[in-house]
Amino acid sequence: MPKSGLLPELTPKRREAMIGYLFILPTYIGFAVFILWPIIEATRISFMEFSIIGKSEYIGLENYAKILTDMRLRTSYLNTIVFTVFAVSFNAGIGLILAVLLNRRLPFLIRNLYRSIFFFPVLIAHTYIAVIWRFLYQQDTGVINYYLGLLGIDAIPWLSSAAWAMPAIIIMDVWKNTGFAMLVFLAGLQSIPATYYEAAQLDGANERQIFFKITIPMLSPTIFFILVIFMIGALQVFDSIIVLTAGGPGDATRSVVLYIYEQAFQKFDMGYASAVSMTLFAIILILTSLQFYISQRWVYYDE
Amino acid sequence: MAIQIDIGKTKRQKISSHSKKPLKRGDILSYIILTIAAILVLMPLLWMFSTSLRPTSESFSLPPQWLPTQFRVENYLAPFESNVPFQSFFFNSLKITLAVTIGQLITCSTAGYAFARLRFPGRNFLFILLLASLMVPSQVTIIPIFLTMRSLGLIDNHLAVILPGLVSAFGVFLMRQFFKQMPEELFDAAKVDGAGYIRTFLQIALPLAGPALATLGIITFNAIWNSYFLPLIFLNSWDNMTLPQGIALLTGYMGSGNPSVVMAAVTMAILPVLLVFIIAQRWIIEALTRSGLKG
Repeated sequence: MPKSGLLPELTPKRREAMIGYLFILPTYIGFAVFILWPIIEATRISFMEFSIIGKSEYIGLENYAKILTDMRLRTSYLNTIVFTVFAVSFNAGIGLILAVLLNRRLPFLIRNLYRSIFFFPVLIAHTYIAVIWRFLYQQDTGVINYYLGLLGIDAIPWLSSAAWAMPAIIIMDVWKNTGFAMLVFLAGLQSIPATYYEAAQLDGANERQIFFKITIPMLSPTIFFILVIFMIGALQVFDSIIVLTAGGPGDATRSVVLYIYEQAFQKFDMGYASAVSMTLFAIILILTSLQFYISQRWVYYDE
Repeated sequence: MAIQIDIGKTKRQKISSHSKKPLKRGDILSYIILTIAAILVLMPLLWMFSTSLRPTSESFSLPPQWLPTQFRVENYLAPFESNVPFQSFFFNSLKITLAVTIGQLITCSTAGYAFARLRFPGRNFLFILLLASLMVPSQVTIIPIFLTMRSLGLIDNHLAVILPGLVSAFGVFLMRQFFKQMPEELFDAAKVDGAGYIRTFLQIALPLAGPALATLGIITFNAIWNSYFLPLIFLNSWDNMTLPQGIALLTGYMGSGNPSVVMAAVTMAILPVLLVFIIAQRWIIEALTRSGLKG
């Protein structure tokens, strides 16, 4: 064999192990350099008064203490929570409704067509969507206010008022991401065994009963999964906000990630930015563990 | 095109096909709701497209016109002639996207194969550790990565955006699942024929992994083509920027850019995604459904 020159004295078992390590090496180098080491580094930096050109020094828990008193961070967290609650509820709720409707008696082609239409915005960059919607949201010339005007609603200052900017971002997010929830729910619905429905029909259950007594309970692992995935995504909202409102007006739409970005890369206060990012990391970690723990239980329950 | 997500679906279709009842009120209602939703989804895209073909003077004409009334194809040339280097944005995005996609296909297929098919001490632990990295938000790692790139002199260099993208825990997971599902006999036969591990991988496993590679390639292509966070941090001269950055630039502060030209640029930026979607819908939808990864 030609390769035996390369690794001459290995038993087959060791050889297999060698090649195994060789195959995961590129991935593990990347993992070590771009994830593992940066986490350690970020933790270290979060305890520092960090200067990018001058001297950095350890300041203990000062950055973390600042988190508790920083009113702008509090605003950013509140904004992020408001965004998360509404975006996740609407995305999951509307996604579920669309999936249930698509799962009804529909011709195959029509179902596929609708599903493709609903899903397509998921593939478009947040940046482009925000660029399009910024025109749609214009107060005087925007398409949205024109149609609201036909319904007798006064022009809404979508992007220039503190009250409306967040709803504007949420609406755009739902437009973009509902299709993803729809897709996962549809797959979940289609994996519910037909025998359950047949049995219910034989027992004379009506559609509403079938929905609440069979569909929803059988779908609950999927619902929970979608809620967690969307929460993790929403907590990190950034692209759409920076293009649509840049956090404004004032701080009305500033999200935590936008705040971290500004602290780190505009004010270059990287120590504080790292400390804030740790808080976000902790929240995401808790959510993911929760998801993992509960889905394990569900899998067990299913069997 | 039939998309069989699983068996449950075929069963359900069988029921619905032999119960050919007339349309009920509920059916009509659901058609109406679905159609309204589809129109709402399509309208912004339709507005984008029809605006991109209108003269600038009419880009804000109200009532809005949804179908293109004019065909100003020169709007599509305007971004290339504007004061920002649109052509460079396009090629930079293409270059970075291709480099990352090809890199990931290599690193993920070898690692996925090793985790699925080769036995070595610590295999499961290393795999779970890798999966755990999916939980780490990029905002945590970005500051140290930025400092590293800075000390390597890679700020405003495409490598700063390409290198962190070359590995993907999700991609390894996807490839591992695929290699695991391959029949055992295939590998036994290769062993009997005296094929080494590397040859078995290159000549037997990899050629059969086409669908998985295509899926991973498409998902990665789309994610990198659309990515904004990393380029925003690392690429700051106009000539090095990517398409999302460039279009944000073209739009100007608070939307002062020329809408027709901006919409033509956005249409061009979305076009590759649309094409890939039409061609590879089946794979994208199946993979995203199965993995639950947000696009």
